[in-house]
Amino acid sequence: MDFSALQALAASNDWMAIFPEVLLGCLALALLVLEIVLPKSLHSSLPGVALFGVLAILPSQLLSFSVGFIEGDSFNGLLHHSYEGQVMRVFFLLAAVLTCLLGTVSLPRQRVPRTEFYHIVLVVTAAMMLLAQSNHFVMLFVALETVTIGFYILVSYFRGSPASLEAGLKYLVMGALSSAVLLFGIVLLYGVSGNPMLAEHTATGMNFDSLSGFLAAHPHDFLASVGIVLVLSGVAFKIGAFPFQIWVPDVYQGAPTPVTAFLAVGSKAAGFIVLLVLARTFSAYAWLTVPVLTLMAGATLLFGNLAALTQHNVKRLIGLSGVSHAGFLLLGVVAAATVPLGYGAVYFYLFAYLLASYAVFGVMAHVAGPDDADQELAHYAGLYKERPFLALVLAIGLGSLAGIPPLAGFMGKLFIFIATFRAGHYGLLGIAVVSVVISIYYYFSWIRAAFFESWTPPADEASARPAPTPVGLTAGVILGVLAACTVILGCYQGPLGMWLSGR
Amino acid sequence: MITATLNEYLILSGVLFALGFLGVLLRRNTLVIFMSLELMLVASALALVAFSRYNHTLDGNVFVFFILTVAAAEVAVGLAIIVALFRQRRTIQVNELDSLKN
Repeated sequence: MDFSALQALAASNDWMAIFPEVLLGCLALALLVLEIVLPKSLHSSLPGVALFGVLAILPSQLLSFSVGFIEGDSFNGLLHHSYEGQVMRVFFLLAAVLTCLLGTVSLPRQRVPRTEFYHIVLVVTAAMMLLAQSNHFVMLFVALETVTIGFYILVSYFRGSPASLEAGLKYLVMGALSSAVLLFGIVLLYGVSGNPMLAEHTATGMNFDSLSGFLAAHPHDFLASVGIVLVLSGVAFKIGAFPFQIWVPDVYQGAPTPVTAFLAVGSKAAGFIVLLVLARTFSAYAWLTVPVLTLMAGATLLFGNLAALTQHNVKRLIGLSGVSHAGFLLLGVVAAATVPLGYGAVYFYLFAYLLASYAVFGVMAHVAGPDDADQELAHYAGLYKERPFLALVLAIGLGSLAGIPPLAGFMGKLFIFIATFRAGHYGLLGIAVVSVVISIYYYFSWIRAAFFESWTPPADEASARPAPTPVGLTAGVILGVLAACTVILGCYQGPLGMWLSGR
Repeated sequence: MITATLNEYLILSGVLFALGFLGVLLRRNTLVIFMSLELMLVASALALVAFSRYNHTLDGNVFVFFILTVAAAEVAVGLAIIVALFRQRRTIQVNELDSLKN
């Protein structure tokens, strides 16, 4: 037999190009091995191994900016390594560090196995990093499913709590439904682009470059349009955009707090990277994608903010406010179709959102009690008097989410608005400004509870406030850094801002 | 021997997909919903194989392996969640799973 073809294929696999993902996978496996090998007394150090292991992988990821894989393909076109992809790798690694940190705060309150949580978080992170660089539908689907199936387990991780399991089941049904819709869209696109009767048909219709070439040659094909709408709907489920946002409040409330944070930031960012790449691939069908995404963005903004107004449970509130943030990001995606600044605006917004969200979730993890789904606005009354540090971090995080200057969230929204303005979507811009005003109302009712209300113990024992968790050293330092970065990134964008706005 | 055309395969696959989709939306039993989800994945796999056969490209056939693997993983995790939920709540009817409310 002749193996030269296989050898040539194997030589095109640049394993060095994905070494951060490989390291993450090894670290995840090492955690499981360490749990078996180490004596029980040392098990409490395993979360630290995960946290500092990912922190150690971060600088090696920064190295990959300088090596020669940038703007090239690897694995025979499955992956494409762009600068954006590298930036998002850093993003997902940061999200993994912060999720592990929240895990060390929230998990000890429950009777659940610990190590597997960090294992799954690391595997999901590696899949997200691959997702951000995928250039082929098979890669995209497998990476996306690894993320989604990992999240099924994470959402239902507190298996003694009916709320967590119910959230897990709802996420499972919705996630599997969206995957099936996405898959059917992929199949249609593959089928149409490979049709031998059509000019410029391609044998590799799942590769984004070949597909985009085919679509440019047939800009009004009916089956391809159906496929594109199905693919976009599948991704819209993942980011929780209207009308596919119905799962968001229930799942966010029931999931453990670290998982809610990871879902809100990591999963949403992964969805938006996919959406940006796909929008670029489908650029020949802008007549279809831009109106669909525009409608989706407007409806998502309005729905997210109006629904968040009536919430008393902070996890549901942050979930629905996350829906409205998805709307702002969609605005950037719509603008990116015509204005290059749109791309930079989306990336900057994601980083600002990461910092502010994890600051808020960090405070939530410390205020929550043993019942993780029961986190009411009323529990925050008097937080400033009792725990001023947490209240301050909360105020900075919420202020940034609301878009108050001079915090990072304000600059994120500003970039998005400038890109939208330049792209000429004035109606959408109006809706966005109105929804910022609405969002300030519910963010400030939370801040008001923490600063200006005082806690009066209710007469019945049932609605007592949960016992607070003390702030550990690592958690305190990281929360402080998050808040400080939110302030600094708002006043001074530095090279990051230059790079993003220069695109 | 009668051979089916590509369109017949696609119509069958579209019908299976629609049946699965309606099943997820309308049925109340979690296990039936789960079967409907699998039906949707299988419908996509059928369309992939048909496209692969009639377009004379191999990518589709290979993708089916990945889809089957993913579906197996999904079932493994999903059934585990359903069993754990049944132990807690003694029901898997979706209309009775409403403890998450504002």
